Amino acid sequence: MNGLQIHKAGIASSVQDSGRVGTLSIGIPPSGAMDRPALMSGQHQLGHQHDEAAIEMAYADFAATLTEAHDVVVTGAPVQLRINQQACRSEGVHHIEAGQTLEVKATHEGIYSYLHLSGGIMTTPQLDSRSTSPREGIGGLDGDFLKDGDIVPLGAPDKAVGASDPQLTIKNPTTVLELRFVAGFQFDDFADEAIRSLLAKEFTVTAKANRMGVTLNGERLHSGIAALYSEATCYGAIQVPPDGNPIILLNDRQTVGGYPKPGAVISSDCLRLAQSRPGQRVRFAVCSPEEADRIGWLEQHYLETRLRDRH
Amino acid sequence: MDFELGPAGEAAMRLVFTGPPQPALTRALLKIEAQANQRFGSTLTDSVIGYTTVTLFFSASALERDRTEAWLREQAEAIALTDDSDPEHSAADVVLPVLYHPSVAPDLEWLADDRSLSIDDVIALHSDATYFAYATGFAPGFCYLGTLPTALRTPRLDTPRAKVPAGAVAIADAQTAVYPCESPGGWRLIGACPEPLFNLGNTPPSRLNVGATVRFEPINEADFRALGGLIA
Repeated sequence: MNGLQIHKAGIASSVQDSGRVGTLSIGIPPSGAMDRPALMSGQHQLGHQHDEAAIEMAYADFAATLTEAHDVVVTGAPVQLRINQQACRSEGVHHIEAGQTLEVKATHEGIYSYLHLSGGIMTTPQLDSRSTSPREGIGGLDGDFLKDGDIVPLGAPDKAVGASDPQLTIKNPTTVLELRFVAGFQFDDFADEAIRSLLAKEFTVTAKANRMGVTLNGERLHSGIAALYSEATCYGAIQVPPDGNPIILLNDRQTVGGYPKPGAVISSDCLRLAQSRPGQRVRFAVCSPEEADRIGWLEQHYLETRLRDRH
Repeated sequence: MDFELGPAGEAAMRLVFTGPPQPALTRALLKIEAQANQRFGSTLTDSVIGYTTVTLFFSASALERDRTEAWLREQAEAIALTDDSDPEHSAADVVLPVLYHPSVAPDLEWLADDRSLSIDDVIALHSDATYFAYATGFAPGFCYLGTLPTALRTPRLDTPRAKVPAGAVAIADAQTAVYPCESPGGWRLIGACPEPLFNLGNTPPSRLNVGATVRFEPINEADFRALGGLIA
């Protein structure tokens, strides 16, 4: 079989494409790459026309052998790359022969890196996506994170590759990351003190962060709101549980929740948050829905422009 | 009925009714959801019904916030909760077999003791009621069912169990539910259902869906095993 034989999977590697649409109503989160521009960048460089999946690695510590020759690209958080024990530059497209070994190791910044392979990953899509939702056991390879010894099936590379790097990799600020958010209904119901803290204080990213969400630490927010009737959660929702530490909900979030939420962080800032390491300082700022729409639209336009063929 | 309407994050809008949850309201929310599907087509990428809310998710580049809000406002204002048929007195859409026995229900004896009831009383109270499906979520196929008889209402565990088995029949506050797959969980476990509740190969994949009425049918251990139930 044409495949990628994994020797070392690392702590949380999984097959991810751009995720699912339309499954919230049956309780399944969108999942998908935590850093979508990084996913798109790699697919672009390999000339993939469709939403092909990549292997998402958190704090990459990955080693695998290819059974057949493929071109590969690694995007997202910067890594050290070794092909057949030889260190090589981490950017750009690399040709790897059958039997050669690829090692990917995280460096000092970011969380999620993406290994893209020409021909694409050929695990069976579920609900129109190859993305893994490990909690639900859906997608990916057997619905789970990748393990040592797994073999990921690959498609036959069928065409010339070589589009240039569209330079979509997120550069996180070294100082404070601003999290712009759209206020929701409960914003007005939050205790004044909690809103003052939310808007004025700095928070930090904690170690409690995964594909479901990122827990922040700082001034405790006491909403003064009793439990709510369960309602839909959205990407970026600022969920405030009784302990007062806000959790920003991301790709693998539960689809409904009953904790109060003063609002939801806009997607472009969520991407930066997802790539932030513990200790990253963040600050919240209110953003009108219209501004959020405008930023979203501009970013979409920017991505499309960058992804036009530039061979 | 009073409502609020506004953003629920980027490219999502939420309609919230301020009254208590009730089947007639859920049916109205389902109607609005169906109308939104017709009105917006593929621009509407997803929708989720909560106890008193419907949240609509749009593709970001296609959402016209003002027009969408105006349209939703019209739908919300047109809602009259005339449909007051009481699910507790109607035939159930779904009947789920349940083994109520301490061997599969670690909180059953505790609950009976705590309420000074016999286990048979607890079983009768839980299985005589007809429940209404108010919302789905938490896990695929997990459905929030109400309303639990007052005598059985109980707070969640202080510390959730790390592992609740698939099929566990659970209660918390005024709600009951069946865990469709193994997961962590803080609800109290009073029975086990041997039938699968979620299968991606089925349409719809979930056995229980918002708006359904549900009843639980007590079965014995032999029937439980015959239906594929496992006793650890």
